[in-house]
Amino acid sequence: MVELGGYAGRYLRVDLSAGKIWVRETPKELIRNYLGGLGFAVKILWDEVDEHTDPLGPDNRLVISTGPLTGTMFPAAGRYQVNAKSPLTGIWGHANAGGFFGPELKFAGYDFIVIQGRAERPIYLVIDDDLVELRDASHLWGEERNGRFYGGKTTFETIQMIREELGDETFKVAAIGPAGENTVRFASIINDLGNAAGRTGMGAVMGSKRLKAIAVRGSRGVRVAKPELFMEVVDDAYRKLLVDWGDALKETLTKYGTPNLVEAINAMGRMPVKNHWTGYWEKAHLIGGERIREEFRVKQASCFGCLVQCKYLVRSRKEPYAGIYKGPEYEALVSFGSSLLVEDVEAVFYANHLADLYGMDSISLGMTIAWAMESWEHGLLTKEDTGGLDLSWGNAEAMVELVKKTAFREGFGNVIAEGSKRASEIVGRGTERFAMHVKGNEISAQDGRAHQSSGLTHATAARGADHLTSLSCLEERGYEQVAAERYGADKVKDLVDPQSTRYKGWLVWDLEMLYALGNSLIICWYEVGWPPVFYYPDMARAVAAATGIAEFGDPNEVKRIAKRIAILRRMFNVREGLRRKDDTLPERFLKEPMPTGPAKGHVCRLDEMLDDYYEAAGIDKETGVPKDETLRELGLGELAGRWR
Amino acid sequence: MVEGVQNLLVIDPDKCTGCRICEEACSFHHYGEFNPRRSYIQVLRNDFEGVFIPMTCQHCGKPLCVEACPTGALYQFGNAVFLDKSKCIECKQCLNACPFGGIQVDPVTFQVVKCDLCGGDPQCARRCPTGAIKWVRADQVGYQKKVDGAQRSARLISLIVPQG
Repeated sequence: MVELGGYAGRYLRVDLSAGKIWVRETPKELIRNYLGGLGFAVKILWDEVDEHTDPLGPDNRLVISTGPLTGTMFPAAGRYQVNAKSPLTGIWGHANAGGFFGPELKFAGYDFIVIQGRAERPIYLVIDDDLVELRDASHLWGEERNGRFYGGKTTFETIQMIREELGDETFKVAAIGPAGENTVRFASIINDLGNAAGRTGMGAVMGSKRLKAIAVRGSRGVRVAKPELFMEVVDDAYRKLLVDWGDALKETLTKYGTPNLVEAINAMGRMPVKNHWTGYWEKAHLIGGERIREEFRVKQASCFGCLVQCKYLVRSRKEPYAGIYKGPEYEALVSFGSSLLVEDVEAVFYANHLADLYGMDSISLGMTIAWAMESWEHGLLTKEDTGGLDLSWGNAEAMVELVKKTAFREGFGNVIAEGSKRASEIVGRGTERFAMHVKGNEISAQDGRAHQSSGLTHATAARGADHLTSLSCLEERGYEQVAAERYGADKVKDLVDPQSTRYKGWLVWDLEMLYALGNSLIICWYEVGWPPVFYYPDMARAVAAATGIAEFGDPNEVKRIAKRIAILRRMFNVREGLRRKDDTLPERFLKEPMPTGPAKGHVCRLDEMLDDYYEAAGIDKETGVPKDETLRELGLGELAGRWR
Repeated sequence: MVEGVQNLLVIDPDKCTGCRICEEACSFHHYGEFNPRRSYIQVLRNDFEGVFIPMTCQHCGKPLCVEACPTGALYQFGNAVFLDKSKCIECKQCLNACPFGGIQVDPVTFQVVKCDLCGGDPQCARRCPTGAIKWVRADQVGYQKKVDGAQRSARLISLIVPQG
């Protein structure tokens, strides 16, 4: 057993083809070089998966990982990572979810799980401290008859049924719904209160392995190496969140949750409207945080150990949408709301709820429907294609219907289920130009024309167009003091200017490393990204006190580890054949000036930032491959010279 | 008189968001580890409907556990009920007697344990970020609840009026 604080010291390997389970010691060198969470997964997937691996085949690995802070009292250390080669993009894939599943896995005594193979029959995995077993899930799984899909328990049903079967409602369950079973390419994994490991189709990987769910219960707990010092770190972190940033949080995330962003982001002209056609919507208030709080919010909720507490529940009284639901996040409000010009926020609640029930990523799902609606507008899709659905902008009924059809791959839903890139290739007829994706992943709710660095983030993120990899909120919210402290007062003017491209390459790379670190420890983006509370020194101090590994206390060392993680993650994509040409955006962002709103007239000047980004990261500007000296500096010398 | 023993743990499920920081703080204080299953306070939850109820020992004025205890290991002091482990014979009669689950068996040692109010500074109340768990002088509780109740009815009225 590894005698380190923070870590459980062991992990599980599950071979579903053989029906075998192994408990192994977490390797010390893995801890020392890759920290946890995302870092563990990057190393494991680099070693065990390659360019020949079929994402939906038995050889793909599903790595479910926690970090050294998971389950401790450091604020918002309740998340877990799900990682695999993505069936949506064919490259690096991961998603990250809150709730209570991650800590429970650690409490049961495991740092991570590696799942490989494919079960003969549907099964689910039960982890009850030292007792780990596979159980039959045939009664939870749907079946195909005459080309139609029947049954398949929803994620919520699955969670509740498994808890009943195991006789303890405190089991934490992560499950896929019908969409995961049907390998919808952006299927998600859902745990607890509709917490979603949403992006890049991790639920489809689980479905391809015939693994319906993982249930976990643990009583081993987490010990830290230096308890007194660690609680000092926790007290400081509490002070930062509750006092230093307390007023700001009370008026934003804590009060409204992420819907608070709707009004703010719309005001800067960066909120995707009509399939990213523009960045401003005069009806944004209809789906905004203020309205949701006043009219629909019934309860505030929280993930494990969090002080921000951005989760909430809503109640709709309007048929056919009536019910109590998890409140949608900003991204879901945009992808089902403004992106489709759907004004009825209650329909958005419901669509988001269905996405959770069936297990689909709300971003990719909404944005793929947006592709269909724009293609419809241009007459490139007709009722013959859609099975009679009228996909006019703003048609909430059609949206809800299409969400259902997608989960079951029925009719036109079978096309949507492929994601916007593949769907547009299936349909052809020039609809490709309306597929708003990078590397096959649908573009999240930012726009590089209104916020230059967010375009760079979308273009360079390893899992395809994504905000959580490196999005800067410095210019989004004008954090001048933070910008000055971190990067120097002389750069503040450019850093907080959304339209300036100066320094943005360096900024985005710095944040890519920072968020890689956050996803490895694992702590929530909503205290590292926005608001920008914790930086390298805070994290170094916390992880050193938790683990007792002195080297981790050096901010430069944790930054070096974060760089290793980010560079090896990029190498994963290089091995898949990706190069500089793939770090780009759809033409809409590069060539079509923003038609309306505060950012009117601007395009994303990606090229002005890309070279800086490569230089900051030690990546070759011609090829987009990390330089040999960068690899050597990070202890990855054996990779040098193999890819050009 | 032990400081704080005139106080009560006042729990308001309406304010609880289910973050479980109380469970973390409790287990860390008593066992030096983060292990919610060893916590003396547990947040009961229905995630799908957003119901979160922190439950712990009520420190009853007429405690059934004390009555059930054959050895005098459980005893009252001020407004609180304490367990003297040196007298406890692990007969678990108190578990059966308590209507609230205020007494529990530790999942690691399998011994009877209960809330001890952290020696007068309950960590659950100290760490609760929403004020759902408060440590209040017993004779102030009624007034505090009146304040909370008044705010609640004011809110209800403002909700009902625009719909009428």
